[in-house]
Amino acid sequence: MKKYFAIFRVTLINSLAYPGELIGRSLMILPFMWIFHQLWSVTFAAAGAQEINGLTVRSTLWYLMLAETIELSRPRLGNTISEAVKDGSIAYILSKPYDFLLYHYSTSLGETIFRAAMNILLGGAMVWWLVGAPPNPFGWPLALLTILGAWTLNFCIAAMIGLSAFIVEDISAFQWIYQKFAFILGGLLIPLDFYPAWLQTIAKALPFSAMVYSPARLFVEPSLPAFATTLAMQLAWIAALGLLLVYFYRRSLAHLTVNGG
Amino acid sequence: MSAITVSHLQKNFQSKRKTAGLTGSFQSLFKPEYNPIAAVRNLSFEMESGELLGFIGPNGAGKSTTIKILTGILHPSSGEAKVLGYTPWKERQKLAFQIGTVFGQRPQLWYHLPAIDTFTLFGKIYELEDAETKKRISFLAEAFEIGDLLETPVRKLSLGQRMRCEVAASLLHKPKLLLLDEPSIGLDVVAKQHIRDAIRTMSEQEKVGVLLTSHDAGDLEALCHRVIIINHGQIVYQDKVSNLKRKFLTRKLVEVRYAEEIRKDFALKGMETLKTGRYGVKLTFDTRATPADAVLARLSEAGTLVDITISDPPLEEVIANIYQESASEPSELPCLEK
Repeated sequence: MKKYFAIFRVTLINSLAYPGELIGRSLMILPFMWIFHQLWSVTFAAAGAQEINGLTVRSTLWYLMLAETIELSRPRLGNTISEAVKDGSIAYILSKPYDFLLYHYSTSLGETIFRAAMNILLGGAMVWWLVGAPPNPFGWPLALLTILGAWTLNFCIAAMIGLSAFIVEDISAFQWIYQKFAFILGGLLIPLDFYPAWLQTIAKALPFSAMVYSPARLFVEPSLPAFATTLAMQLAWIAALGLLLVYFYRRSLAHLTVNGG
Repeated sequence: MSAITVSHLQKNFQSKRKTAGLTGSFQSLFKPEYNPIAAVRNLSFEMESGELLGFIGPNGAGKSTTIKILTGILHPSSGEAKVLGYTPWKERQKLAFQIGTVFGQRPQLWYHLPAIDTFTLFGKIYELEDAETKKRISFLAEAFEIGDLLETPVRKLSLGQRMRCEVAASLLHKPKLLLLDEPSIGLDVVAKQHIRDAIRTMSEQEKVGVLLTSHDAGDLEALCHRVIIINHGQIVYQDKVSNLKRKFLTRKLVEVRYAEEIRKDFALKGMETLKTGRYGVKLTFDTRATPADAVLARLSEAGTLVDITISDPPLEEVIANIYQESASEPSELPCLEK
């Protein structure tokens, strides 16, 4: 595992090569949180309620800050693999003595850490200023642990989309569909608690909720049973999608066409 | 002992065909048509351990596809290949510990980081001890004259400097075989010479076999013992480089300077005048038709010689002739010589 840690470490160093770009990209969360604040303040006021389905304006905003952090900091792995196939640089990745999938997992995590830290720092400061402190400090450690599960789960799906570049020429349609599922069924724009019961049931049975909703919800209302449920859900999906990914990878390899000779 | 054995290797690709315009796009959407392309056709060859073998051919000849099959990146459509005893596409990771690769058109060094970071990372990836990695980096830094470049971000290096770092990085784990895909592409004359010298020295010192693809005949002349010329995915010629030169370099170039001014219509029997100056002339002759001693005699009879140079034409010209012969009938490519 030493080599994968070394790959993770180099990616981490690489992500600091342009600190201006790192901060610039993370500034995006500021207008998002301001817009969410306006939107949900008006909605709660219009409903004449302090709390809707267990969430207040404050907890909704903190929920959305964490959900946005997960989304904005996740690496665009599909694009990375697809570009490597298109420009032929995949040749180097495949000619080194490491596992292709673990290599990409290590680089994904390396790319994500500082981006997520900047989003939490900036987004958190903004939300704190708008609505006050997070509801429960115990939420931090539990959410951060499940964020790792969320990224792993995202990796499994994004890598499968990226690998499809071994077979099809353009993967942008798959990326688009995946992103929209994560937006709607993952609870990225609206917490799943605000959905009708039947849609909540469907959304919570799918992996997208374990990637966004569950860690963010745990952050605003932490409890050990909820933590255990989220972790179990994530592990089950990681096991299922991970196996599918390995199978898909082995099949895709035989179809690979490397551009540029 | 053979480092590489390739037997009846074939790689076919499907290339989508689309006629021009919107109608063509719609047709292609509902009824896609594909052209089968044989990038590598029934290729067979062997390479000995420690040999420097040139794999030469024009763009699209199938050189890079072959090298990618031999590194295990691509699966062949049919045929067999063994590289250092491994079947590349089945034992890619085991093979990776034994080979070094450079794909000249793509960087393997981390672009935004100093090369030393990639070297250290490769030490971990190839499972070397830290002390061994450091020792090896110092050795390679000296051999490739890159000591003062290692701490500069790769993006700030010139192409020639980067390529020296790329080749050095591929040798970090002391591979038995180096597969170089166009290592001199885009380099100027001096940088090319630099990289060729370093590769030759390392191959001699560490007994590393080198399979080098290029469409630059200079690489071949400077580095390789033997050459395989490939076109349309097939071997059109394979022999020692010295034999290639002897058999195909029958024309010689002669540059002469005289003490006195020469005639504008300067001509000699059995020789073709290429360029005439005030005191000098450039000629060419075929050694099979006109012996060299006859040429010298005629040149000295024409005036008082001040300087004379006899040289081979560039190897590119010779290879171009072989390509032309093979390109005329791609489906029935002759194997010119074994």
